[in-house]
Amino acid sequence: MSMTTPAKRTQWKEDIQHFRMGHGISSKVLLNCCLVRRVISWASPNNKDSVEDELELSAVRHRPEGLEQLEAQTRFSRKELQILYRGFKNECPSGVVNEDTFKDIYSQFFPQGDASTYAHFLFNAFDTDHNGSVSFEDFVMGLSILLRGSVQEKLNWAFNLYDINKDGYITKEEMLDIMKAIYDMMGKCTYPILKEETPRQHVEIFFQKMDKNKDGVVTIDEFIDCCQNDENIMRSMQLFENVI
Amino acid sequence: MAAGVAAWLPFARAAAIGWMPVASAPMPTPPRDKRRAQDSLIVLNVSGTKFQTWRDTLERYPDTLLGSTERDFFYHEETGEFFFDRDPDIFRHILNFYRTGKLHYPRHECISAYDEELAFFGIIPEIIGDCCYEEYKDRRRENAERIQDDEDNENSKDMVLPDMNFRQSMWRAFENPHTSTMALVFYYVTGFFIAVSVMANVVETVPCGKTQNRVEVSCGERYALAFFCLDTACVMIFTVEYLLRLLASPNRFKFMKSVMSVIDVVAIMPYYIGLFMSNNEDVSGAFVTLRVFRVFRIFKFSRHSAGLRILGYTLKSCASELGFLLFSLTMAIIIFATVMFYAEKGSSASKFTSIPAAFWYTIVTMTTLGYGDMVPKTIIGKIFGSICSLSGVLVIALPVPVIVSNFSRIYHQSQRAEKRRAQKKTRLARIRAARSGGSNAYLLYKRNGLLANSEEEALVSKTNASFDVQHHHLLHCLEKTTNHEFIDEQTYETSCMEVSMVKQASRSSSLSSSPRGGLTSCCSRRSKRKSFSVPNSNMSANRRGSVQELSTIQIRERPLSNSRSSLNAKFEETVPLNSEEAYLTAAVISLPTPPVTTPEGDDSASSPDYSQSNIVRVSAL
Repeated sequence: MSMTTPAKRTQWKEDIQHFRMGHGISSKVLLNCCLVRRVISWASPNNKDSVEDELELSAVRHRPEGLEQLEAQTRFSRKELQILYRGFKNECPSGVVNEDTFKDIYSQFFPQGDASTYAHFLFNAFDTDHNGSVSFEDFVMGLSILLRGSVQEKLNWAFNLYDINKDGYITKEEMLDIMKAIYDMMGKCTYPILKEETPRQHVEIFFQKMDKNKDGVVTIDEFIDCCQNDENIMRSMQLFENVI
Repeated sequence: MAAGVAAWLPFARAAAIGWMPVASAPMPTPPRDKRRAQDSLIVLNVSGTKFQTWRDTLERYPDTLLGSTERDFFYHEETGEFFFDRDPDIFRHILNFYRTGKLHYPRHECISAYDEELAFFGIIPEIIGDCCYEEYKDRRRENAERIQDDEDNENSKDMVLPDMNFRQSMWRAFENPHTSTMALVFYYVTGFFIAVSVMANVVETVPCGKTQNRVEVSCGERYALAFFCLDTACVMIFTVEYLLRLLASPNRFKFMKSVMSVIDVVAIMPYYIGLFMSNNEDVSGAFVTLRVFRVFRIFKFSRHSAGLRILGYTLKSCASELGFLLFSLTMAIIIFATVMFYAEKGSSASKFTSIPAAFWYTIVTMTTLGYGDMVPKTIIGKIFGSICSLSGVLVIALPVPVIVSNFSRIYHQSQRAEKRRAQKKTRLARIRAARSGGSNAYLLYKRNGLLANSEEEALVSKTNASFDVQHHHLLHCLEKTTNHEFIDEQTYETSCMEVSMVKQASRSSSLSSSPRGGLTSCCSRRSKRKSFSVPNSNMSANRRGSVQELSTIQIRERPLSNSRSSLNAKFEETVPLNSEEAYLTAAVISLPTPPVTTPEGDDSASSPDYSQSNIVRVSAL
């Protein structure tokens, strides 16, 4: 496997060029050599992963911005940021969370079901710059909105979560995916028993409520309007104020 | 396991806002969180080493000592910290468990020390992480084996059991030849006769000389009578030995099922069968075959050799590897035999007449024997023959190291056990000396007459350790309760040896009406006057229990053998009769060996209080 890292590949190419020029060997022989290497590289399936792993290793060690800056950007106090960072760093010593770790952590809170799909959507919602990892800043910004933001901001965030492809519309398919992910977290042993069409029915109810102009998609304005008129939703938005 | 990521719970709760717009029912009210404004640090002082951690870290696991209110018992007011008088090195790992959620096992720590600490802090060892779990389990298993080994050794066979009956002493002699001279003699005699018997079997078939009509005869035929007498003698000895062992064994059925007894039977059966069938011509052919079984006598040597036993045990424990070896060999043999047969089919005058005939060639080739009685002649046959021999080497070489390493492991284990046994005597002697230091202190105390005036215990000895003084007072109270005294171990043991000899001698004599009862009760009474070799054990206040326990503790601190409990059972019946008076009724009758009849003579080493025990012994009731 180590034969096929990109750096090594280029090195080999150069070597072969030099060899060829120095010894006047025909290109057929060299092609055969390359063939052999290609066969070997085909035979080793983890080629790509190893390259990615190397990149990963080198991208480690992210340090967040200073405490003052974060204090300014979020609505947390210094103490709260300290507590948050300690917890964050404990679980992710490298300073960034990648998707697998994120799924792992989130799944530990829902041992009965499979939380990985919902964790995937959550990860995308937190990873605002879409670079595949959630740093402490992303984490804290997201939390700041969720815990200390206005209702508008929270609803915005929720819409962002549901809108999987971030095109500004929630379609039925996207909503179905989200709903299935949520129901997956419940697991098998529920009362009443989860049926196949329960998520779909739930999505129908949601769309009936939210989709005012019945065009099959929910826009951000429809969403916020509708939620602001729903008492239950409004009340539940205030539920987690005191979490930190 | 969520406790390990407890720090992320606020995040998980915040993320729940994502469910709100799609919720089908209103949310429940959140719990009132009486959180402190700030998480506080706790100081844990473990034998001087200070550890500090957040309170929340400890409270992640509320069913352990540190996570529950149990830690309040260790709170030290003056310094405001929690003080634990335990090992700080191991505590480090325990605290790391709270911090990271993973428990690790440090390899350099002793397994029992570690287990103790875990038990103290209320952490179950099963949560040790995968990285360390195997090592932990291995060490634990080794430790358990060692303890079991020690127990088994203590249990044995080398201890002087004063009240064994003849059967048990015989069994002990059979199992452990070095316990008595008779046993050793017996051991060597049987070994000699096994060797003689095997040699006779071998020499029987050697040709020696010719008869008149120039026919070679074997020695067995020439000296038939001599060999027959020799055989008879050996079989007599073996039969007697077998019957004796059968008689002496504690569990006859189990003995008969054991491997050694089967070998014994198989070794002597042919002779007896031969005796009964010697006249019949037809079955004499079968009888000759039976003689082959005489060679099993050589297996009787495994009683004499530990190495042979280890080998047998290894083969038994490697049964699966051996089975695999056999199976793969069979596969290879069949494959190659088929190939060789078809390859050599064309060549003329080929020895490979059939596939089973080719089996022989394949086996000889694969094991690299190469007798040369069958060789391939065609080119293709030679090619496959060479492949066959190369692969043979590989197939055989693979399972062999496994078997060898198994043998090595078992051999080293037995070596270690032997070494332990050899050192056991010295080790136990030292332990006993250390322990009896405690009881000796008490006996010394008594002898100095300081206890004679029981009220004057305030005038303590020079040592003036209040713990010792209180302890001695406690022992004295016990003596007064049971109306018996403590003596030391040596005097007890010697007296018991003599009593057992007395018992055996008196079996023949019938001077008393119930010698057995009298003797047993005397001996059991004697058993009460055993030394208290475990100074700090708790004796039950109950009289019956205390007597039972005394005798229990004296011999060994573990389950009793049959005879002893039966003895005690007998004694229990007599206890109510003789409750208060210590020395009366059933007693030793006068016997021909005067020095033995005064058992009190042995106690002369101990305190002068025994002078009153020189009562006149009357015959048993």
